[in-house]
Amino acid sequence: MDLNEDGNPDILSGSYSRSGQDMAGLFQVLWGKGEGQFIEAQALNGTDDKPLIISVASEDDRVKKICTRPWAVDWDHDGDLDLLVGNFKGTFYLFEGEGKGKFKPESEVVMTEDGAELQIDGAHSDPMTVDWDGDGDLDVLSGTSKGGVQWAENTAGPDKVPSLKGFVSLIEGKGYPAMGALLSEEDLDGPSNSSRVWATDYNEDGKLDLLVGDNVTLTSPADGLSHDEFEKALKKWKKDIENLGEYPSSAGEKELQKWQKQMTQLYQSRGDILNEQRTGYVWLFLRK
Amino acid sequence: MKAGIVCSLLALTGASVAVEFEDPVRLKADTGPIRVESPGYASPSFADINGDGKKELLVGQFSRGNIWVYPQEPDGSFVSGAKLMVNGTTAEVPGVW
Repeated sequence: MDLNEDGNPDILSGSYSRSGQDMAGLFQVLWGKGEGQFIEAQALNGTDDKPLIISVASEDDRVKKICTRPWAVDWDHDGDLDLLVGNFKGTFYLFEGEGKGKFKPESEVVMTEDGAELQIDGAHSDPMTVDWDGDGDLDVLSGTSKGGVQWAENTAGPDKVPSLKGFVSLIEGKGYPAMGALLSEEDLDGPSNSSRVWATDYNEDGKLDLLVGDNVTLTSPADGLSHDEFEKALKKWKKDIENLGEYPSSAGEKELQKWQKQMTQLYQSRGDILNEQRTGYVWLFLRK
Repeated sequence: MKAGIVCSLLALTGASVAVEFEDPVRLKADTGPIRVESPGYASPSFADINGDGKKELLVGQFSRGNIWVYPQEPDGSFVSGAKLMVNGTTAEVPGVW
């Protein structure tokens, strides 16, 4: 998207969190120079020349400031681009644009037409606006930590500030596989968890299709283990986890440290049983 | 394999409609499935970033905040991807790790 209106596409990204200060995901932009060339990523500043950060009422809401995901759109139809952004919590905020890539420093939470906070099912909201239902206004699509794709219908009509229903599921997520479940690339038949969404008429048939990025852990028995040895070792590992029990939150400091040490050792020891390869793919859903 | 899937629009509030999609397919480049480096988290976008009239597939990843760019052939297939470069070095988005 051409954020600063110079005729060159720019690349806009969120981030998990800055480091060295209180946690807050900044918005990063790679300004386009044309012909596919960009400059280094830099934090997107507000009109106060400070990095844009989602505004929250208290530090108890700090998860709403991290794992950000921006989308530039003229939300209020005043002729300039605003920023609709997602976060770890799964809610959405709006930074009002003032033209040419400038935004007001304060953000406002996005609400549904029923007066509730717009929120996905799951965490890690991932907004994209598009006229999904073809009624002339921009709806909101989002990925989610649970995988799948969710849609919030805009009922305002063309050229009006969006009025959104709550999210519904367009594509159900597969979620996370059980610990130790074997999974090869050939087993995959759709996106797993932590989906990221892009709508486009991919095959140019006049209907919007979906590109869905995901996160998945491919899992196989550790090298040198037979199937039986793997099953036996996994069973023992799960039993050890079960025996360790839940985090003893009401225990004393020494007891807590002992539990944490044992859990860390157990968690790390799964490498003796499993080969795990974390990756992510891009899936295409062509609309019929 | 099913010929297609019907994805229910199960409203979190109860209402439901339906949208039909073909079975999902993994996008591929000439070197195999398009995938990102560990620990994953592929984030796609599809846009013409170099002004040649064809859209490129951009895929962001968690590791170092790198962005993969996959150009399209005239037939719509993707050729091998490469990490986006800026000023001769690999582009990184800070704070993604």
